[in-house]
Amino acid sequence: MSTPRKLEVAEQDVLGALRSFFESILAMEDTGAILAPRRLPVQSVVMPALIGDPKYLREIDPLAPAFFLNAARMVSRLSRKSPGQKIAVVLRPCEIRAFIELVKLKQGALDELLIIGLDCLGAYRNSDYRRYASEGPDASTLKFFFGALSGSPSVMAGIDLTAACKVCEHPIPTGADIAVGFLGISPLDHLLVQAQSTKGEEMLARLGLEQTLVPASRTEAIEALVSARFHARDKFFDQTREATNSLEKLTAYLAGCVNCYNCRVACPVCYCRECVFTTDVFDHEPFQYLQWAHRKGEIKMPTDTVFYHLTRLVHMSTACVGCGQCSNACPSEIPLTELFRATAVRTQRIFDYEAGMDPDAPPPMTVFREKEFVEVVGLSE
Amino acid sequence: MNRKAGCALIVGGGISGMRAALDLAETGYGVTLVEQAPYLGGIVSRLDHQFPTNHCGMCRMLPLLDRESGSQSCLRKDLVHENIDIRLSTQVMTVAGDAGGYEVSLREQPAGVDRLKCVGCGACTQVCPVEVPDAFNSGLSMRKAIYPAAPYRVLNSYRIDFSACTRCGACAAACPTGAVVLREMERKQFRVLVVDDELIVRDSIREWLMEEGFDAEMAGSGQEALGRLGGSAFQLMLLDIKMPGMDGVEVLKKAKEIAPQINVVMMTAYATVETAIEAMKTGALEYLIKPFEIDVLMPMVEKRFAEFMAARDEKIRVGAIVLAGGAAFYNPAGGKNTLGYGVYPNILTNAEFERLISNAGPFSGRPVRSADGKPISRIAWIQCVGSRDLQAGADFCSGICCMISIKEAILAHEKLGANLATDIYYMDIRACGKNYHRYKEAAETSGNVNFIRGRAHTVVQDADSGDLKIRCVSVSGAETETAYDLVVLAAGQRPHPDMALLAEKYDLALNEWGFAETLPFSRIRSRKQGVFLAGSFAGLKDIRESVTEASAAALAASRSLHQAGGGIAPVPAKTSTGARNVSREPSRILVIICSCDGMLTPHLDAADIEHRLKKDPSVTGLLVFNRICAGPEMEGLIQEIKSRRPNRLLIAAGAACADKVRDAGKSAGIHPALIRVAEIRSPAFIIAEPQASNEPARIFQDRMRILIMGISELKYAEPESLPETAVVRRALVVGGGIAGMSAALAIADHGYPVDLIERSEKLGGNLNWIRQTLEGHAVGPFLEDIRQKTEKHPQIHVYSSADIVSTWGEAGRFYSAVAERDGAVVQLEHGAVILATGGGEAPTQLYGHGAHPAVMTQKELEQSLQSNAVDPEKLESVVMIQCVGSREAPRNYCSRICCQTAVKQALYLKSRNPAIQIYVLYRDMMTVGFSESYYTKARKAGILFIPYTLDNKPRVDTGRSRAAVTVFEPIIDQSLEIEADLIVLATGVAPDFPQQLAEIFETERDADGFFQEADVKWRPVDAMKPGLFGCGIMNAPQSIPDAVASAEAAAQRALGILSRQSLPAGRITARVRHSLCSRCRICIDACPYHARAWNAEMERIDVNAAACQGCGACAAICPNSAAVVDGLLMPQFLEMIDACF
Repeated sequence: MSTPRKLEVAEQDVLGALRSFFESILAMEDTGAILAPRRLPVQSVVMPALIGDPKYLREIDPLAPAFFLNAARMVSRLSRKSPGQKIAVVLRPCEIRAFIELVKLKQGALDELLIIGLDCLGAYRNSDYRRYASEGPDASTLKFFFGALSGSPSVMAGIDLTAACKVCEHPIPTGADIAVGFLGISPLDHLLVQAQSTKGEEMLARLGLEQTLVPASRTEAIEALVSARFHARDKFFDQTREATNSLEKLTAYLAGCVNCYNCRVACPVCYCRECVFTTDVFDHEPFQYLQWAHRKGEIKMPTDTVFYHLTRLVHMSTACVGCGQCSNACPSEIPLTELFRATAVRTQRIFDYEAGMDPDAPPPMTVFREKEFVEVVGLSE
Repeated sequence: MNRKAGCALIVGGGISGMRAALDLAETGYGVTLVEQAPYLGGIVSRLDHQFPTNHCGMCRMLPLLDRESGSQSCLRKDLVHENIDIRLSTQVMTVAGDAGGYEVSLREQPAGVDRLKCVGCGACTQVCPVEVPDAFNSGLSMRKAIYPAAPYRVLNSYRIDFSACTRCGACAAACPTGAVVLREMERKQFRVLVVDDELIVRDSIREWLMEEGFDAEMAGSGQEALGRLGGSAFQLMLLDIKMPGMDGVEVLKKAKEIAPQINVVMMTAYATVETAIEAMKTGALEYLIKPFEIDVLMPMVEKRFAEFMAARDEKIRVGAIVLAGGAAFYNPAGGKNTLGYGVYPNILTNAEFERLISNAGPFSGRPVRSADGKPISRIAWIQCVGSRDLQAGADFCSGICCMISIKEAILAHEKLGANLATDIYYMDIRACGKNYHRYKEAAETSGNVNFIRGRAHTVVQDADSGDLKIRCVSVSGAETETAYDLVVLAAGQRPHPDMALLAEKYDLALNEWGFAETLPFSRIRSRKQGVFLAGSFAGLKDIRESVTEASAAALAASRSLHQAGGGIAPVPAKTSTGARNVSREPSRILVIICSCDGMLTPHLDAADIEHRLKKDPSVTGLLVFNRICAGPEMEGLIQEIKSRRPNRLLIAAGAACADKVRDAGKSAGIHPALIRVAEIRSPAFIIAEPQASNEPARIFQDRMRILIMGISELKYAEPESLPETAVVRRALVVGGGIAGMSAALAIADHGYPVDLIERSEKLGGNLNWIRQTLEGHAVGPFLEDIRQKTEKHPQIHVYSSADIVSTWGEAGRFYSAVAERDGAVVQLEHGAVILATGGGEAPTQLYGHGAHPAVMTQKELEQSLQSNAVDPEKLESVVMIQCVGSREAPRNYCSRICCQTAVKQALYLKSRNPAIQIYVLYRDMMTVGFSESYYTKARKAGILFIPYTLDNKPRVDTGRSRAAVTVFEPIIDQSLEIEADLIVLATGVAPDFPQQLAEIFETERDADGFFQEADVKWRPVDAMKPGLFGCGIMNAPQSIPDAVASAEAAAQRALGILSRQSLPAGRITARVRHSLCSRCRICIDACPYHARAWNAEMERIDVNAAACQGCGACAAICPNSAAVVDGLLMPQFLEMIDACF
């Protein structure tokens, strides 16, 4: 990792500093556009926007506790084939990690991207954010920002970080070319900008930012935050496992599923063009339903809901980055994130793999080792 | 596939025979595979797990291309291939003719059970009153006189052991399908009519004949005799001349009219000898002068009986013969030192121990001491029992016993737990095959196997406990005594028990120990043209060697057949089935059930079944028959099927009935791929029935499930198979050493062009510097012969001073670019690639090499002797150090040939100058097999062999004018300093197969840089990538004959591709549904057969249908079933699973 640099914050305007930083990147002749979260003018909604004209950078709000979708999928659309120009993308850590998973699955490429990651303070559920942000654009973002920095992300009664964010052990944007940090420093004075790749270093060198040191306070702050998250995470894993440790309990856990498949659409790493559950494989003949009904006495409709979630766990849990969008998207408010993360932590551990962390680590299922899982396959040697 | 005219005979159905048969069958030759035993697999069929993988994996020998030409199931169960005719329990009786045209007669031992009718229910075994020791389990358990041939065999393999059978008939009565044929013994079929007017004569002769097992009848007059002849068939008539009424000569004339084929022997008194002689003109065979004794009569009858049997033998014509008859094991009980074997019950041989711990053995994989049931906690193995033992007449090493014992110790730990104590008493551990040294090390370190070097000379039993004590003298002379529960003797090899007879039959040369001998530089050629040897017939081999040699023997047989014109394929087999295309029709399944006299489906209610099945709209109807095999006329059956207009047929019936329905279905226009058999007669149900007869409902449910599963599977089945891939019938061979040239010649001799790429200017590789072999065969003339043949062969194009630049493509069609030294780049097209890039002596800087002129490597010594730079006359003392930088990291493997080389050079130096003191410092002498005798010779010649260990290596002092070696000598228990004129280092073999070259060919190197084969035992020359093969010392360190064998094996495997116009795809083959595919390409990595590739131009995944094995790894990893395996579709499987619940 290269020497950190200072991004000066003029007049305590954190958002302003970020906007002008992005503006300077867009001003580089080889930057074609910037993808960044932009607050829509009318509604309290923050969505990724691909910005070509610097004037729209004034509307970006990467600090808002809004996380309407995981932008990894959008970046995938921009980089699935060569876009022809360099694109800078501003992403949350979990978006970066999801995107790295997509890159491994050939759904995107890093070559023409400059990934800018920010320390992440978490986000609210979509409905909560709409309610929260009604009191004014920048003000609400900053209120959350400073609240969360001081350890109180719940700055309005009844509104708190999502379940996923509360247990997220990756608030730092690993995998970004340029990391923008504010945890453990004084963001009213300056932000910390650090290149994490050659690409990032080249960019920062051209921007001519002043070099600085990482203060010990930052390392301490991150350690404290991560350790608290780990603690919360393990507790939440225990609870989830307790609630799902038999087929009966799992069926009850997922009972509200209406087969809308929103979770799969929202999941950044669920990358199939067409899900197998919407293909002819699950297009059962009417007589088949009748046979089930006769054999078992009754058959819940729609069928295959537990099967669907189990399949998604099999397919995607080794790639799950814990962004929480599945829960965010569920109309029946099924705590899917909890189930996915509790499963993913184990499936990833047995393959000694952590989704989104190392771009060079092959996805577990693509690697064949003759001698592994002796306890599962029953063959020794 | 197109069947060629040529046919081969393979004698011996062990793994070598199976491999050779499959190899020849895959190139289109017809094969008759004859096996004496009632099962295939030989020795291996009695081993559950084999080193060095501790798996089985025999199925990896199955064809990967054109899989539908045979069955794809466990080879322990059965081997099925359309070009292989398997004859079990059969012997070759006579062999006549020469290469290209042998006439062979075969005789089968009757099984006593009709294979088509037997359903394997075991009812016969339950009622059989006779128990005999089960030879398959080495006598550790008992079996009945009617029994399944081997535990894994297909169900209908029951047979009668006629030597034990009492003909009580209980089995025939118990058999539900009438499969038991208590056929009379063969001798009973030889019927003799004794004609004599004296009752006492005819009666005593009849008595004699009956006692010998023949069937005899009497006639007191000519008239009576003719009457009997008219009534039934006789093979022999013993006819008295002088009888009242009609005399013998007249009877003879009349008899010849009634039964022209009958053999007649005249019985005459001395007075009428002339009449007897006269009678021979009228057709009598010979005469006996009365009175005669039994020992005059019986040889004559036996001779006629033998002729009678021989006339019934089947005669076949074959162009080549591969002998793969295997070997036998030494019986320690017959030796001078029995080590208690045969005296104490708890001493077993390796082979017996395998059965003791086998999952299918007498203790179902939970072994205890067989004699008293005591738990086993201490086992010892004693190596070299009947091997490396001059007293036992065994001046040879049996090659594989070290590895067998190590494996058994590892398996014993698996079965009996980590607390088991396992000791192996040995002289040298000869773990010298590929990866074997690591295997031995792992056994020692993580496997808790304890190795004790010394001579275990005595085993005594404690009379009360039955425990055993081994007395052993260690290398330093210390005597130990250790107690064990069980002692296992590593009994060495002995030739096939009938070797003398076989040698005569096939005109084989035998070596001094009675094993079949091969020609110099060959592992498989016998002195007889057209007769080749494979596997342990010429000395015990491990699986890897056996399989390699079997493929090489197949190549030699194929070459012989080809040269005799057998390569021509007659009329191409018709491919059209005449079935209409039904791929666009909805499934209409007709279910046909045979109730087989109600025995097999006692709870069958046709109406109820039909009602249940027809809930599925794809079922058009149900037909229930009783005894289809005996029942309806074929034409009627066809009409019955046609009238229902099905496009798919599901049959639930026994083998004979199912075959008939299948034929009827085909005639009714149903595609053969859409006719299936549902196994409702699975033994699980049949065997469970006696106990479960009170559960008819459950049995009925089980059978319904199987029917519904069959319907689920069949309704999605599609008859179409994928298009075939055209083959470029030309080969690329990389490397022009002995392996490369042998491979090139082998292919070119079959008429296919070969491009041979050699990096240096001259063909020959390492053989260019080797003078002669250990056995004394001169290498130069051999090399020159091969080189001439290669350079002059019209089908071989040699590119010398050339390198491979790039290769792409797949089995059947590769493209390569070759750069010549002048810079020109040549583009080549070929269907298969053989890598033979060789290797060389590993370089070293150890022991002062390079620092002192006296220190040289074995290769340098060889070269110095040739150039006379070293003059043996002037040497006083030579020290050879083995395992220099070998068998320890980073080159942690045995190079296999260095010990032989050291012995060879030492003997040569001694022959030139007997006064030289020669010391060989070694860790384990690896003079494997018959090369052991040269080790013995060397010791007799006064060459001193001193063992050293890794923690106490010799030290070389090069700091003075005369170099010296210091080594610890364990017998005298002190260090020796030896001044030496020469210090010769054996550094082992290093492969010449750089990573870059491996990448060009999309293949891998093993941990030591050698070619990574698809399977170390079963596919030793195949790469995982189809169409790519590796041989010679780039594959593994090996001797010249081994390199030739591996090259010819690789050539034979390549011919499996080149001998076809096109590569057919299997019916179960993966396909991509491009509209669903997300192009993530994880299936490419997941495919173990390299059958998938990214087509950048079309932006899609391409599947090489010929390379695809239908394993389903792609379908499993593809999240949305864009990768599918035709024939195993997801809806199909979901429905089948669903039907089980």
